Amino acid sequence: MPDWLREIDHTADVGIVVTAPDRDTLYARAAVGTFRLLTDVEAVRETAQETVTVEAGDAEALMVRWLSELNFLHTTRHVLFRRFDVAVSDTQDGLRLEATCHGEDIDRDRHPIYTEIKAVTFHDMQIRETDGTWEVQVIYDL
Amino acid sequence: MPDYEIEKIDDYRWKLPKKDGMRVPAILYASEDMLPDILSDDAPQQAKNVAHLPGIVKASLAMPDIHWGYGFPIGGVAAFDPDDGVISPGGVGYDINCGVRLMASKLTVDDLDRSRRERLVDHLFRLVPTGVGSSGAMQVDESELRRVLQRGAEWAVNSGYGSAADLDVIEENGRVDGADPDAVSARARERGLDQIGTLGSGNHFLEVGYVSKVLDERAARVMGLDEGTVTVIIHSGSRGFGYQVCDDALSDMDKAMKKYNIQLPDRQLACTPIDSPEGRKYIGGMRAAINYAFANRQVMAHNTRRAFEDALDLSPREHGLFTVYEVAHNIAKFEEHRVNGSKREVCVHRKGATRALPAGHPLVPGRYQKVGQPVLIPGDMGRYSYVLVGTERAMEETFGSTCHGAGRKMSRRQARKTAGHRNVTAELANEGIIVRGESDRTVREEIPEAYKDVAGVVEAVEGAGLSQAVAQLRPLGVIKG
Repeated sequence: MPDWLREIDHTADVGIVVTAPDRDTLYARAAVGTFRLLTDVEAVRETAQETVTVEAGDAEALMVRWLSELNFLHTTRHVLFRRFDVAVSDTQDGLRLEATCHGEDIDRDRHPIYTEIKAVTFHDMQIRETDGTWEVQVIYDL
Repeated sequence: MPDYEIEKIDDYRWKLPKKDGMRVPAILYASEDMLPDILSDDAPQQAKNVAHLPGIVKASLAMPDIHWGYGFPIGGVAAFDPDDGVISPGGVGYDINCGVRLMASKLTVDDLDRSRRERLVDHLFRLVPTGVGSSGAMQVDESELRRVLQRGAEWAVNSGYGSAADLDVIEENGRVDGADPDAVSARARERGLDQIGTLGSGNHFLEVGYVSKVLDERAARVMGLDEGTVTVIIHSGSRGFGYQVCDDALSDMDKAMKKYNIQLPDRQLACTPIDSPEGRKYIGGMRAAINYAFANRQVMAHNTRRAFEDALDLSPREHGLFTVYEVAHNIAKFEEHRVNGSKREVCVHRKGATRALPAGHPLVPGRYQKVGQPVLIPGDMGRYSYVLVGTERAMEETFGSTCHGAGRKMSRRQARKTAGHRNVTAELANEGIIVRGESDRTVREEIPEAYKDVAGVVEAVEGAGLSQAVAQLRPLGVIKG
């Protein structure tokens, strides 16, 4: 597991804590952390890409929307991603995230699927920046 | 360990007094033995947080299987005044109308030797798709989906899945009014098109078992649960459709809360007044998801019957699989209850809690009028589950609600670690329990030791007088996601 990612134990569900040197990387790494819960990301090839744009009123809501969008694509289009180019910008009403997601269609022979994420929750979520390190905790409903 | 101020009411009731922004106290139902475990995590704090919600009536209630959730605790019950109260999607959960159906058959445990058991579980595994994003039991188009959302299990029966007799013994008869397909997003509808009749993953399961112990002769006889009778339990909900309805509503309400000047200790508790555009939209969408789940379980029940016929070479008359009852345990409904001596309508949220009506209640099906509404409490896949009935006491105290399951003791990671290199499937097979899982990891995460002993939960609800035990069921075969 990379040193910027930590899985946290909760009795019924699961969460991750992600750190990053900047805001864009924080969103990108949270996405990688999410897919690491779903599969062995090392086994995912980069043969397809998808662009995603989401907007929200604040940083936490943007995180929930972004990860929920990826989970939606995963469950409805049956895809897995492993790398994300993310750019977050300020808008009049809040924040916009634009991303290119790299991955491929699920291949059950090569991709173990560990679990189903029902949802990305707001529970205990807080995005913090301390001395140039960004951190977020995300709790999922499994 | 969080430090809670707690007052003992009696051996099974504990009060977290009204403090700070709480509008009512929180009441915890548990035996003294269970208390240290319950107080060791944030679940009681979550029960206290729920007490902050506007319009909450009487108390924020926590059943003995309470455990840490997000926003509401799992095992939480809260009722709100329809005029000045709120509706909270987090008080229902992502898996709207997750619930349990119990079926019983004419077969006895002696009819299912090892090889027949294996054949049956294999057939079930083929006919009831399981696992992540499972799909493929059937595909509907947009117009058919609208009918599913409006008619629930009735749609399934009209489409040839099961019989009208099933509908008589489903909570709400398998269909709630007021479902609004236009209140849900295109994304939710997209997720709903191919998941009817699928189990999903996580703690969802379909279990073949048998009545291992009769605890109330009369009630068990009325339910057709004689000792040795082969049973089926189906535990699933509204799949991706429901998750999306909840997600969309949380996002709407999160934005709208400022407008209604609602301040809460946890953002996941997002809510709006029941009578607000956001509240009405969520209620219409939630009801569509309730119906989706009713249809989902009805189709799975039908495919279960087919599996019995194909695997065991039996006619429907020979296996005789009938529905005993089906309960919802993630739901919000408008119900009539006695509050401070007078009858009134309240909006009851049950998140990981089951409705438990007493004998004689008008919503109890005719067949069960004299014994009370059956309540199904699944345990883990290695031990046992219980069938209970509701009581008057539950009506008086908990808005006719009781527990819903065992509750986890270990996190999923801890469970995997405990399972280590053990072959869990082989271990259970040695005990005569055939397990088929889409993912080996899920099976390891769901090892029996990962759950509390459901007998303790049942003992606590019986001790508190909220329900009475009727029968104990033991597993013979399980399919998991």
